[in-house]
Amino acid sequence: MHKSASFTPEGLYPRKTKLTITISIVIVSTFYLLSSIMTESFLLDLFIKMPNVFGLIGEFFPPEWSYLEEIWPKLFETIHIAIIATTVAVIISIPFSLLTANNVTTNHWLYQAMRFLLNIIRTVPDIILAVVFVGLFGIGAFSGIIALIVFAVGILVKLMSEVIESIDMNPSEAIRASGGNGLQTIYFAIVPQVLPQFISFSLYVFELNIRASLVLGLVGAGGIGQLLNKEINFFNYPAVSTIVIIVFAVVVIIDYISGKLREGLV
Amino acid sequence: MIEFKDVSLVYPNGTEGLKQVNVHIQEGEFVVIVGLSGAGKSTLIRSINRLVTPTKGELIVDGDDVLQLNNKQLRTLRTKVGMIFQSYNLVRRSTVMKNVMAGRLGYTGTWKSIFHLFSNEDKRLAYENLQRVNIEDKLYNRADELSGGQQQRVSIARVLAQQPKVMLADEPVASLDPPTSHQVMKYLKQINEEDNITTIVNLHFIDMAMEYADRIIGMRDGEIVFDGPVSQVSEQTFEQIYGRSIRDEDMRGGMKGA
Repeated sequence: MHKSASFTPEGLYPRKTKLTITISIVIVSTFYLLSSIMTESFLLDLFIKMPNVFGLIGEFFPPEWSYLEEIWPKLFETIHIAIIATTVAVIISIPFSLLTANNVTTNHWLYQAMRFLLNIIRTVPDIILAVVFVGLFGIGAFSGIIALIVFAVGILVKLMSEVIESIDMNPSEAIRASGGNGLQTIYFAIVPQVLPQFISFSLYVFELNIRASLVLGLVGAGGIGQLLNKEINFFNYPAVSTIVIIVFAVVVIIDYISGKLREGLV
Repeated sequence: MIEFKDVSLVYPNGTEGLKQVNVHIQEGEFVVIVGLSGAGKSTLIRSINRLVTPTKGELIVDGDDVLQLNNKQLRTLRTKVGMIFQSYNLVRRSTVMKNVMAGRLGYTGTWKSIFHLFSNEDKRLAYENLQRVNIEDKLYNRADELSGGQQQRVSIARVLAQQPKVMLADEPVASLDPPTSHQVMKYLKQINEEDNITTIVNLHFIDMAMEYADRIIGMRDGEIVFDGPVSQVSEQTFEQIYGRSIRDEDMRGGMKGA
């Protein structure tokens, strides 16, 4: 019972799919070309300007190791900023993450209002926060700390409220059924379930804060970023490369330690 | 002790959980509620401590109409009404001890409980109740290290720590194997007899209902279709409650002599 092959398939995909793909490619390349032309930046420049890049990199070497003396205090300031900001942000984010979890905050309006507030906070980039707070409180570490607290609360609350929303609600029911009040239910049924994740996220936010506080220094919010900015403006490239190397080492070490701690938790 | 007077409950989606239910349960009784899933057994039992709130009628528990209670009064009532769940509802990451101490929360102030400042009597009570269900050697184990039967025993100890007048058990053995199921039911029966705690258990296994109950209440479609002492119950009674003939799946098995 062989059927004769009167039909030869054209390819691996139906004609309609091919057409869709072709059109998509044309549209994307058009956008790419348009963007390139409008901004007058072409990928080709990367290769044309390579000699400049190498020339500049040459100026960064050798790093000026005697400059280390000036780096240490500012480096510790950066770490201090991150520690203070993370600690405060963690404490603030506990009630907020409970308020933005719909299984804890059953009042619909309160829940929506809190979510809206936190979405707004999260849309503001950390560098903008720093610019604003430097404007309000002046140049220095304090402005950086405030900016990082706001930045970290936005991230932590988002991560934590999602963890809280995914927990098993049955133990809470048992605690309520035995006469526990709202706070007791949270503390005895919800906290034990989310605590490891919460600590893990806090360490992660600490890593983020270390990195962010470097960038924030560029706009005057204290720490080693401020030093970096100064040396770049003075074209003191050997010092800049010393800073970059030290920062790289510190970030790698802190990420490693915090990563190991987090592994032990979950 | 517990009296339902024309209690009805309509869920927000329009499902009728209870229809004009009238029941009177005496102090110290061991009542088993049977019925197919969806018959309203859980709704009935959860109305008693108001985990669900009936929409009409009067529901008297230990002298108070639970439908009229404010939040604080409701928490006081709940300390008197212990509950055991199908899925044990322990906090899996917490120790057995902490889970049992949760039974004392209703008697303990918020701040005291948050700083774990429980009285020595409370701690002793928790330990004694773990001894009663023979699980005291797991005191500091995490709940998720225990087997299902052991977890259910811990949840019984948690209820006992409340020193309740009423014990509600919502399908307490549905997640357990036959021998463990009988063990758990025996503990419930023993506690009921020794402490004179009024006990209401939801079950869908006919043989277990017959073995442990003093009184059986049959439910179908949110209505009580049978209510009588176990001596009046026969296989025909169950066929009448279930509205179909009895099948193998309605039996737990594992009974002595079976």
